Amino acid sequence: MSAPNAVGIFIFIICVIVPVLVYALVKQLWNLPLQNGRGYFLGIEVPAGFYEGPGRNWMAGFHAMVVALYGFLGVGLGAIIVMRRWEMTPVWVGGFALVFVPAMFGYHAWTRHKLGVNPPVRPMALALESRRMSDYISWPAEVLAVALVALSWCLLLHNPARHFDWETPLQLTWVALGMIPGKMAMVKLSWPLPAERAEEHYRLHEISRRFWMRISGILFEWYMVVVLLCVALLHAVSSPAHHPAPVWRWLAVASQFAVWGYGMIVMFRGIQEMKVLGRELRPDGSWKTPFGRASCFGTGREFRIWFAVWFGGVMAFIVYSISKHGFK
Amino acid sequence: MFLTLQENDKRPIYQQITDGIKDLIARGELREGMTLPSVRQVAGDLGVNLNTVAVAYRQLQDEGFVTVRHGAGAVISSRSARPVGQAELYKPLQTALTQLVLSGLTGREIVETVREQLAQLQQKGGTR
Repeated sequence: MSAPNAVGIFIFIICVIVPVLVYALVKQLWNLPLQNGRGYFLGIEVPAGFYEGPGRNWMAGFHAMVVALYGFLGVGLGAIIVMRRWEMTPVWVGGFALVFVPAMFGYHAWTRHKLGVNPPVRPMALALESRRMSDYISWPAEVLAVALVALSWCLLLHNPARHFDWETPLQLTWVALGMIPGKMAMVKLSWPLPAERAEEHYRLHEISRRFWMRISGILFEWYMVVVLLCVALLHAVSSPAHHPAPVWRWLAVASQFAVWGYGMIVMFRGIQEMKVLGRELRPDGSWKTPFGRASCFGTGREFRIWFAVWFGGVMAFIVYSISKHGFK
Repeated sequence: MFLTLQENDKRPIYQQITDGIKDLIARGELREGMTLPSVRQVAGDLGVNLNTVAVAYRQLQDEGFVTVRHGAGAVISSRSARPVGQAELYKPLQTALTQLVLSGLTGREIVETVREQLAQLQQKGGTR
């Protein structure tokens, strides 16, 4: 079993994460299919009276999936509490994310296949505004992130008195630095623009692009940089005979949660803002351009390649870690 | 600033882009020195082949409306096309007039339509 201070940290993590997940369920998830009004189901145009007919079954199916996902989360948490396996908390959180994200995307794809297989063709607009990297990415901030990662590795490698597990720092480095080309790919990502209310759609897309870049930067880049730096600092102040004092651990956890908490606030506010802006607008993917293109998540070759490499790397780390350590 | 592309337009895509940009130049919305987005960006936003957009930009360059500078992209260079012969200049007008006549409009209606279109263009462009 873990040391008492580590148990305290894991319980703290659970106490912070559970209310956030419940808030997300109540405020964002439960009525997600209705976010564009009663004329749409998950952004797919549906006929009038849909929610009085087949829409009821669709809503019930969506709710059943959400309940199943949260049930999976609850069972995992129950097992941790009953078995007092607090050290499994990160696996519980990561496992939920790994199940939740593909399940939501899969459900969305399946719904599109069933309800929106042939959206109507509409005239499209082309924005004649150039998108430059420097308008979206702060290069000094990226240099700082790289420098902090380099500093962390220096701290890890220059304390040979104590062994360190290289997998976690390597994984954190991959996730954090991988976001830099990821952000560059997001700048190039494009969404088809409907001709009707083109300016408002363009504004929403730009806000959405900046929002996703910001949230990825906070949660996948800066959060990972801070975690890596904390791991390295704790490693630097410890020796074979001397573990860092609990206060150091708590400080590390607090700094990580400060970044994570900030990310959550930015995320919930941003989603709310986009919901308000997009309420009256035609959702992406609910129409086809004259060139036969219908896209709900934006398209870009660079983004697809980057995501395959980055996500593939993350999965490879997870598979390697499981094959090496198992679930013991 | 936006170009609109219709689903039932018979013109090729590159022609729609070229004509749309020329229209914005004529209206004074695209002014000299303004930069157009890169060929790659436009092709990505439209979901069409890079060559299609490249052809449109090349046509605008050939006609003297844009200058392509290495690294800076396509920059609007002029509000007027390169001097061309009168016959070439009037060819699109003759085609348009032929279509209007064949569609059954009278001479008076055609003159009125041309006058209205010209007034709209001058109102937005603010000149001539």
